[in-house]
Amino acid sequence: MPASRSMRLVTSALRCYPQRWRSRYGDEATEIATLLIRDGTPAWSIAWSYLMGAARARLVTKPRRRLGATVGALLLAAGSLGVPLALFSSSAPANAASAAHAHAARPRPAVAHPRRTAPQHRGGRAGALWPT
Amino acid sequence: MAARERDGMGGQDVLRRAGDASVLILTSLAAGAKHGYALIQDIKGFSGLQLGPGTLYGALDRLERMGLIEALPAGDRRQPYRITAAGVVALRAHLDSIERVSSVGRLRLGLGGI
Repeated sequence: MPASRSMRLVTSALRCYPQRWRSRYGDEATEIATLLIRDGTPAWSIAWSYLMGAARARLVTKPRRRLGATVGALLLAAGSLGVPLALFSSSAPANAASAAHAHAARPRPAVAHPRRTAPQHRGGRAGALWPT
Repeated sequence: MAARERDGMGGQDVLRRAGDASVLILTSLAAGAKHGYALIQDIKGFSGLQLGPGTLYGALDRLERMGLIEALPAGDRRQPYRITAAGVVALRAHLDSIERVSSVGRLRLGLGGI
């Protein structure tokens, strides 16, 4: 691989690092890559090492973002498993339990009655679905 | 106890979770200040392991933030690093810890003490 192409590959990998890291270590990282390529280390191997390092640097340097990403991933996983998001709120277990109890105590008919369902849609209140 | 308070590290092995690369780098720097390329060459010489540059700079960044190494003024693009007093203490604590485990392991394998 020509030297200029090798360095382009390495430079592309170095661009994946956060700005803080690049301004601190960018110059010497480029220099060390030049020396390693001169010694016969394949450029793709150096670029791969920098890519992995960039991934780690991005995960480590932004703890808040990492926490946000973790919470987001957990919520997404929970949602995909069919867990209602309401369960994550503080009063959710009580609500979930009472809702389950209400459903059990007053089972809905298998087929909705047309006279009962029509006005409920116009009213728009969730609590008015089934008159007491 | 007094020694632990003096060194400010509480005798803890702070390198336990820092990774092997960090220990190799501190061991290399214990012999004197070096820049990145010289670190890779030295570590390869005494351990047989060639650190990737991404691994090297990840560990250097971590060690610098922990205050275990410090950068020296650079004459060119090669930035030299040296081990700090806290780094010496941390490396000593880690090597003591490894040595304890090594001794127990050797005894249990019937190899005797070192």
